[in-house]
Amino acid sequence: MEKRPKIAAIATIYHKYSHTQHIVDRFLEGYGWNSRHHHPPMDLVSLFVEQVKDNDLSRDRLERFSTMKGYPTIAEALTLGGEELAVDGVLIIGEHGEYPSNEKGQRLYPRYEHFKQMAEVFEQSGRGVPAFNDKHLSWNWEWAREMYDISQSMDFAFMAGSSLPVTWRTPSIDMPLGVPVSEAVCVGYGGVDSYDFHALETLQCMVERREGGESGVKWLQAYRGDAFWEAHHTELWSRELFETALCRSHTLTPSRPGFNNPFPNLDELKDIVKDPIAYQYEHNDGLKSTMILMNGLVQDFNFAAYIGSNDEILSTQMYLPMPPARTTLANFFSPLVNNIEQMFLTGEATYPVERTLLTTGLVAAGVDSLFNESTRQETPHLDIAYQPTEASTFWRT
Amino acid sequence: MKRIAVITTIYRYLSHAQHFADRFLVGYPKEGRWHRPDMKVVSLYVDQKPEGEQSEDRAREFGFSVYPTIAEALRCGGDKIAVDAVLSIGEHGDYPTNEKSQVLYPRYEFFKECVKVFEADGRAVPIFNDKHLSYSFEKAKEMVDDGHRLGFGVLSGSSLPVTWRLPDVDLPLECEIEEGLMVGVGGSDPMDYHAMEAMQCMIERRKGGETGVAAVQLIDGEEVWEAGKDGRWSLELLEAALSRSDTPCGLTDEDGRTQDMIRNGEIYRLVENPSAYFIEYNDGLRATLLMLNGAVRDYCFAAKLKDEPVPVSTQFFLTPTPNVTYSACLIAKIEELFETGIAPYPAERTLLVSGALESCLTSRLQGHVRLETPHLSVEYRAPAESQHARR
Repeated sequence: MEKRPKIAAIATIYHKYSHTQHIVDRFLEGYGWNSRHHHPPMDLVSLFVEQVKDNDLSRDRLERFSTMKGYPTIAEALTLGGEELAVDGVLIIGEHGEYPSNEKGQRLYPRYEHFKQMAEVFEQSGRGVPAFNDKHLSWNWEWAREMYDISQSMDFAFMAGSSLPVTWRTPSIDMPLGVPVSEAVCVGYGGVDSYDFHALETLQCMVERREGGESGVKWLQAYRGDAFWEAHHTELWSRELFETALCRSHTLTPSRPGFNNPFPNLDELKDIVKDPIAYQYEHNDGLKSTMILMNGLVQDFNFAAYIGSNDEILSTQMYLPMPPARTTLANFFSPLVNNIEQMFLTGEATYPVERTLLTTGLVAAGVDSLFNESTRQETPHLDIAYQPTEASTFWRT
Repeated sequence: MKRIAVITTIYRYLSHAQHFADRFLVGYPKEGRWHRPDMKVVSLYVDQKPEGEQSEDRAREFGFSVYPTIAEALRCGGDKIAVDAVLSIGEHGDYPTNEKSQVLYPRYEFFKECVKVFEADGRAVPIFNDKHLSYSFEKAKEMVDDGHRLGFGVLSGSSLPVTWRLPDVDLPLECEIEEGLMVGVGGSDPMDYHAMEAMQCMIERRKGGETGVAAVQLIDGEEVWEAGKDGRWSLELLEAALSRSDTPCGLTDEDGRTQDMIRNGEIYRLVENPSAYFIEYNDGLRATLLMLNGAVRDYCFAAKLKDEPVPVSTQFFLTPTPNVTYSACLIAKIEELFETGIAPYPAERTLLVSGALESCLTSRLQGHVRLETPHLSVEYRAPAESQHARR
């Protein structure tokens, strides 16, 4: 029998509906997958949790799963209390928990700090093992770049990002590989430095499949409030793509009382969406992408793009079964965990971490633009070119 | 432009009439566009008008008339049929229930009023009948027969067969099915109907097509689990169906954990009163609907296909309220019926489900006996092309 990989989880906090709970529970309890209750063929053997509060679940999980041990430091979790790296894969889950925010409103989750402690153990042990970093790499671009560079120089498999690229789609389609894309839009919801990242990953996992692959991003400009409506009015981004994205939503706020699903006109949109936000950016090959957060109007992530030589529209929703209102399980974590499992088994990332390096930089640039009166941010540092995987990696079985 | 009559029990916010008929008035999302049907609602009949209902408001805003009878609605107040299609929605409203706890919605009566007009005026037009045709198979059969006799298209049923699926799968046409299983939730007879129709739209694609139902039995309580252990329904298929659920209850509600509800025993603890609807088909296929209130809150299907080691399974995705975009998927099919006069899938599916459900409820009433159902020898072929939302 093949040796079961040993996995360490490094987390900020472990409570109900925290990312740690969604991800680590799937390793411990298994999850529904392809008509089975699937148990990952590996053992989550060590857990470091930085914040343990009244709502903590880590103690319950440690008690119920004797194969997993808690450790007071990241180094000990990785060495299992010994001298050397003693695990075959690492999960870094730096989402949720009480952390300060900076003046730009970015939550200072310690993903970089946790990663660096992991890298130190790798360094001392003379080897690295595959690592997954939940969500964007860091709130700080330089740190994110350093994380990426370390993974490259130490040559360990590194994956990161959101569930959006891998969850169900309605319809269940992917961007055809190598097709020209002339413009792309994502209409989503949520806050700056949080769900903007999910919307950017939604865009990026689609447009990276275009002709030539990803070429990097030249500049980004944010729009908010009146400036958003002005830009929307002058069609700085395609009105048709924006409306197409709305037509993929399952959660369009009714613009008229007594109607359950009318399509809002512009006045109604303005009435419903008090704080619209867009990040528009141009890729090095000329593609323009626009990420739009329409809080109040939708509660899902919808993508639309002009593709091919005749500017046909391709559109879909990246569907998140989101608890607690609609579901009890955040099952979009199942395909994410499944991809992570593949990496731990094969030692190869199932999709490129450059995607998340780029979206990390885009979030930071978006935050900077908003913080600097929506000025255009030149982004020569986001000259990140990469190729997508040939096979689709979203959930469709 | 096709002229539509809407015949309904009640028109209030979030009633089926409101979200169906409104889509003809204000459009609906279809394949990434806001689609406005090239059709006009010209008349409306409403059976019940409690306070807060919307029929007069809609008539005023969208320029049609509310008529006091179905015949007048179909004739738009004139003396000859003056519409090209009928949208009949007998769901919601205050109606009595019978001893089988079936709500006695007047779908048959609505339908027969239309047929009377068709016959008197010498012109029949397509009818969409929402949900099951009738609580009574006999009445349902008469409705389908009327369609054949007078040569008008009849489409009927639930949104579940046509909504999105997670994953987007259909059973291969002419596949060999060893066993089918559906998990549903909710009350009887509204929600078991939806679940049974979802199951039927899958298994009707099997080799040889639909052959009709030979016998049914409905059992309740502990015996349901016993029957599973005895192999009367497949635990493997229950696991497969549950693997598609986003809504396990109990421990998941408590602390968010994923769980293997069969092996940890939670399912037996959570479902206070399980029900199993056993359907035996004329070609020997057995399928089971498990109504598992308390365990989950969604609708999932699984089937074991011959020579396939892993069952096929999927969730029928009931998109969130209030948009309930799953009904937009059904409207697209209704529009197709109205436009072409031909139902995109046979009303026989709904006829068979209406009858099988009625017989299951009779089984329950008669002490959970197995009932032979020679009257349910309803044969039909599924359309070759998949009909659920996938574009």
